[in-house]
Amino acid sequence: MTVQVLESAIPDLRAVPVDRLAELGGAVLANSIDLYRQRLQESSLPLNSFSSSI
Amino acid sequence: MITRHQLPVEAFAALASGGGGPAVVEHLRGVQYSKHLMLLQVTATEARKRDPASPEIAAFLAALKLLTKVQETDQDAFGWLFGLPHIGAWAHDCLQREDQGLPPDFGYLASAAAAAGVRAGVPFELDAPVRDGTVAFPGLGHFDGIDGQPWVRLRSDGERLAVGALPAMPCAALVPDDGAAEPVACWHGTPVARVTAGGRTWSVLLEDTDRYLDLFGRPTAAALTAAEAGNWRTRLQGAWEVLVRHHRWAADSIAAGVSVLVPLTVRSGADMESATTPAAFGAIATSWPPDPVIMAEMLVHEFQHLKLCGLLDMVPLTQPCDELVYAPWRTDPRPASGLLQGVYAHLGIARFWNVQRQAETEPDEIFRAEVMFERWRSTIGPSTATLMRTGCLTEDGIRFVSMLGNEGRRLKSEPVPADATAVATDVALDHWLTWQLSHMAVAAADVAGLAAAYQRGEPPQECAPPEVRVEGETRKVNSSVRAELLRMRYLEPRRSREQGVAETPGLSAADELLLSGQAAAAVQAYRNEILAAAEPQPEAWIGLAHAARGLGQAPYLPALATRLPVVFDVHACLITQGVRSDPLELAAWFG
Repeated sequence: MTVQVLESAIPDLRAVPVDRLAELGGAVLANSIDLYRQRLQESSLPLNSFSSSI
Repeated sequence: MITRHQLPVEAFAALASGGGGPAVVEHLRGVQYSKHLMLLQVTATEARKRDPASPEIAAFLAALKLLTKVQETDQDAFGWLFGLPHIGAWAHDCLQREDQGLPPDFGYLASAAAAAGVRAGVPFELDAPVRDGTVAFPGLGHFDGIDGQPWVRLRSDGERLAVGALPAMPCAALVPDDGAAEPVACWHGTPVARVTAGGRTWSVLLEDTDRYLDLFGRPTAAALTAAEAGNWRTRLQGAWEVLVRHHRWAADSIAAGVSVLVPLTVRSGADMESATTPAAFGAIATSWPPDPVIMAEMLVHEFQHLKLCGLLDMVPLTQPCDELVYAPWRTDPRPASGLLQGVYAHLGIARFWNVQRQAETEPDEIFRAEVMFERWRSTIGPSTATLMRTGCLTEDGIRFVSMLGNEGRRLKSEPVPADATAVATDVALDHWLTWQLSHMAVAAADVAGLAAAYQRGEPPQECAPPEVRVEGETRKVNSSVRAELLRMRYLEPRRSREQGVAETPGLSAADELLLSGQAAAAVQAYRNEILAAAEPQPEAWIGLAHAARGLGQAPYLPALATRLPVVFDVHACLITQGVRSDPLELAAWFG
């Protein structure tokens, strides 16, 4: 069966009031933040380009 | 219940083919909004562990309250703030500082919340940090003239804003500077360019002061003068006309996804530089582009990086991997994640030049576009093959690169004039040969074994295949005048024709023969150059391998084409033993 969507690591916070973020706390955000930290370690450097020089 | 962002497979496929229209970009922007809130929560958790009476924490907590009010009152203003790359860059910095055991810059959120409060027209009162006599309103501008204090009280009744002792200003006047607004005392609106073509408008900030968007590893321009901002608006207008007229597939997406341009100061002697970072979706940093077409190409190029960064925030495409590989647009070895970014950017560049070569009208500009198209489309197939070979891709990464490769094959099927193909092939070959000698190290014991076998007259097949690995810098290879002249053929065709190659400083007699199309004579001249030198000559070996490729068939060609670093090292090893081997005979011995 074809997969119709790809699940991301980022929680959908578009409908969450900013003063309710703290209540989400632990489980919902912590795992996503850990994954994000891991990605940063792999690719946090700026992507510099040198147009037309090569 | 909180769900996770999802990406439809159609959007994934559109991105993988180098596209992705405004709807897909909106999807990516939605993810960034959530990411920024997620990172804000990290900093908020950290803040709540600290002394609430300290000025930084008090300002941060007041900012959170103001943001709650803004979100309740004006969701657009809240969404605007949390869509800004400024916030992404700040939140990223907070996370990094926390990971390093350093305190985050809590105070910046007060400035950001005040900007949203001004925009939303909600009453508020809080302290904001003062740096160098200025208080920032990210995305809008800054006040100056606030000397001698680390914090300043901001008071707004929703209509007017008072900054410390400065006279209150109408909130409606605190906007970015489009070059036509009435001056407001002490207020410096961030320059904004609103460019229009074909009924389509793109609004982009020229961010020249935000401390968190100064993160591209290159010097940012000082605060733009009115004249400089005007020049940037004019150049952006020209680039926007190119994009809207000929590259609509990219124009609409760029308008939807790029909200900030960070002007860079070009370093002395450097080409135009541009950059993006995963920390600041929506921001592109660039030095002054020489013409509107190059600026349009740069925007397409950098926006490819931004789209991929946005996708990577959702779906990992690579996994940790140590292998370094060749990237045809870089002089240094790259990890798989870097090669993926590069090949994706160059897919966009190839698509750009494929259209631009039809749009140009001047022969030299057409030629430049044809060569650029050929040069960069030819990198897609080999680079995607390299990515597949490394084993560094995730399952989604394999799907993505596979679709990217399909688009590369589609581009490769387009006809290109033979003269443009010849120039592009020459430039690509010189780059690849130079990279091999710069970065491919051969195990010393294997080199010594081969040198000994050569002296004994034994075939090389009796030795074990030499171990070759990629390293940062294996041999010192100087930037060659030859490579510069090869590039000049298409980047500056007129200058190339007028200047010719005769008596160019730094160009060897062998280089001159190669550039004049006399491959056989060039081979002999490089051979003589290598034989006459007391030290190994990497530049001459690169020229020799390059010229030999032009001969079609010769016994020394296979080794020069496929094992140049090995042949070079064995030759150098023989020199140390007092043996002056003929480079062509040595290469032929390898078979």
